[in-house]
Amino acid sequence: MSNNFKAALQSTLSGIWQADTQQRTFRQIMNAFARPGVIETLEGEFLEGDGMLLTLATLLDGATTLADVDGLLSEHDLARLEVSTLAAEQARFVLTHGKVAPAFMPSLGTLESPDTGATIILKIQEIGSGNRLKLTGPGVDGACEVAVNGLHPAWLAAHQEWNSAFPLGVDMLLVAEHQVMALPRTTRIEEIK
Amino acid sequence: MSAGYNFGFLDEHAKKEVRRAILKAISIPGYQVPYSSREMPMGRGFGTGGLQITLSLIGANDTLKVIDQGSDDSVNAVNLRQFIEMTCPGIDTTTRLSEATLIQSRHRIPETPLKPEQVLVLQVPYPDPLVVVEPSEDKRKIMHGEADYARLLVKLYEDIVKFDEITISHRYPTRINDHYVIDPSPIPRWDVPKLDNSPALILFGAGREKKIYAVPPHTKGEPLAFEDVPFRVEDFRDAQGKRRACARCGATDTFLDEFMNEDGSKRYQCSDSDYCDETLEADMMTEATTHA
Amino acid sequence: MGYVAIKGGGQAIQGAEDVLEALRTAEGEHGTPLTTQSIEHQLRLLTSRIVSEGGLYHPQLAALAIKQSQGDTLEAAFALRAYRSTKPRLLETCTQDTSRMRLIRRISSAFKDIPGGQMLGPTYDYALRLMRLDLANESPEIFREVAREFLAETPEPNLPDTFPKVVEALRAEGLLPPVENHTETPFDITREPLIFPVPRSAALATMARAETGSILALAYSNMRGYGDVHPTVAELRVGYLPVMLPHPITGEPVEVGEVLMTECEVVAMYEDDDAKGAPTFTLGYGACFGHNEVKAIAMAILDRALQKGMRDGPTNPSEDPEFVLLHIDGVDSMGFASHYKMPHYVTFQSDMDRLRTTQQKHESVKQQDVKQQDNEQEVQV
Repeated sequence: MSNNFKAALQSTLSGIWQADTQQRTFRQIMNAFARPGVIETLEGEFLEGDGMLLTLATLLDGATTLADVDGLLSEHDLARLEVSTLAAEQARFVLTHGKVAPAFMPSLGTLESPDTGATIILKIQEIGSGNRLKLTGPGVDGACEVAVNGLHPAWLAAHQEWNSAFPLGVDMLLVAEHQVMALPRTTRIEEIK
Repeated sequence: MSAGYNFGFLDEHAKKEVRRAILKAISIPGYQVPYSSREMPMGRGFGTGGLQITLSLIGANDTLKVIDQGSDDSVNAVNLRQFIEMTCPGIDTTTRLSEATLIQSRHRIPETPLKPEQVLVLQVPYPDPLVVVEPSEDKRKIMHGEADYARLLVKLYEDIVKFDEITISHRYPTRINDHYVIDPSPIPRWDVPKLDNSPALILFGAGREKKIYAVPPHTKGEPLAFEDVPFRVEDFRDAQGKRRACARCGATDTFLDEFMNEDGSKRYQCSDSDYCDETLEADMMTEATTHA
Repeated sequence: MGYVAIKGGGQAIQGAEDVLEALRTAEGEHGTPLTTQSIEHQLRLLTSRIVSEGGLYHPQLAALAIKQSQGDTLEAAFALRAYRSTKPRLLETCTQDTSRMRLIRRISSAFKDIPGGQMLGPTYDYALRLMRLDLANESPEIFREVAREFLAETPEPNLPDTFPKVVEALRAEGLLPPVENHTETPFDITREPLIFPVPRSAALATMARAETGSILALAYSNMRGYGDVHPTVAELRVGYLPVMLPHPITGEPVEVGEVLMTECEVVAMYEDDDAKGAPTFTLGYGACFGHNEVKAIAMAILDRALQKGMRDGPTNPSEDPEFVLLHIDGVDSMGFASHYKMPHYVTFQSDMDRLRTTQQKHESVKQQDVKQQDNEQEVQV
């Protein structure tokens, strides 16, 4: 068996490309968006990649667009995701590292079609410890606290600025190893000093 | 030619599109996210929007409940449930609300409060509450974006002037998170307060009009009203002012269906058949214990 | 009277299926089941409607859909459309060139003669609509004889061929504007919802799947005076279009099969060109799967009307993209009309509650008025 063929076979069998794994993962991501501050631990057979690749495989396909700002994906993975790439200013999904401050202006959507505002997927170090944040807004019962490690403070400022004119805005999904947590545009974030 | 359908009938790309729309719907509470809406093998208007959401969410770990008019046994509920059972091998279905992880419903929100881990999917025939005052979708999208509901409020006010009462019976316009006003689907006014600060996520699917929208958990949902003419749910009191009870289980705190007897008299019964069954069973248990 | 019986719904649905089957086989023991081949060929115009309204070129499945829906065109197109939505998309075709159609019929009402000649072909246009009683009891022998003779008498060179397009001649003369080269990807109505304003490609795709009667009605409104297209049919052609797909390895287009289709181009009166140059005629385009001339003509007229509406704003319903495109789909409209048959008793309960409350208020106001009148009369006395 050639190595190429083996790799192809493995990627077909690998859990993250399976419909049932993606279905379960989507339910976890959906719950994260419905309940900002709730940390979901993704399950799946991680024969390759991690929570990030599983998240992308769950959300993306050829009908949407992605900007891989920090080159976090290999050519091979990009091809398997079947997604078209665009600049961070236009893409519907933006993948970037959370440890550096944003150096782009994502699409915030329009008043008529705010759903065209970007979904920003941020790779960070850890969710559950680190800088403490207080969250309020839809999906949060009163207020909740969550800690994140490896998120540049400029992202919190950007979340506030980009989402200052609802319904325009961006929605963020933090991914750390196998954990995900969402900060949709309606969430108000306060740093607990 | 009939065999070989994908799990959940839709192909995986179609499901991904619905899933992406759901995430935006949750992130922008009350905003109607457009999506392509595939043809389903039942009529537009029979719940194809709700069905596409359910099929995009459901997996082998789910237990599904399907109701129509509050009943699990209504022909349309049976039809949808059978279709989902056929195309999603391995899932469980139930009539018990407490056992369900996913609930697809037409025209009712169950009487028992939902649990946080449950997801309610409502079928929607008309997603846009502004259609009564503005026929062009183009213009309605701008009005929604600006949260400009002045003309809708004028329409409600005209009602009050004419009838001294808001005459909207169901599909009561409800403001979500202080911005978008939604058509909460043809649920009775009785169910509208359940949208406010709901413990569970509520998703709305309009298949024919190709829209998905959401009321996330713990989100403000406020029926449009005026200070001097408040929002009112259906009144189930008799001529003497006494609250009518379900003729079957005796409940006095549920939405009632009205039946005409042969002799022209009327009887009332819970619209939520599962709630009715559970109340009846609980009563029988109590009786059995008392007699023992 | 008892409460609503639990478990009745499932039985009722099964019962409905059983009686539908009973009616389908009502001819009894001497009946012959229709074969899908018979439907495809003997009811070929019906099959044509279903492939076009169903949006899937599969005449055999269309014939099956007609059979199982007992001839209901809306139901049959619906079944085909639903089948389509379960199939993944593996490849996309490049732009197809309809001048390569092998024609069985082409006419132009704009010219007495056209390059390549008029070809009447299979049409009922000039048939006398008299009942053909000989078909009522047609014997299989005569039926087969007709088929045999037609093929025997048709020499090889008369088999369908390609012809140049009439509008190309008009274009060469400068009577029509030159073809603009469109590079943008056509709007895909099966993957994107219509959000207005939509491009012309979205309108064309929607009309190509439209229900024949619905699109005809809207086009007819324009013809009668709610509009001013006044079209002339430059060319109407029916034939087999070779379908080209990119070769999976070389990328070169290769022919993979053919589809029967109807294409219509109408020319309408010229308009001022604000921007530049000499005025020209304007064009409306219609095309659909199968042999369905009325639909192609209606589509061409509406295309022309919608182009005007998109540019100048609609002045009548047939020029309004939202009005036309959201009301011509058979699957959508029939589904919604049917859904009113489902139980609506919860919302009706709500309706009754509102009406009773309003009636009570009305009654109490009336009584107050009466009382007031009585009081006033007493005062007068």
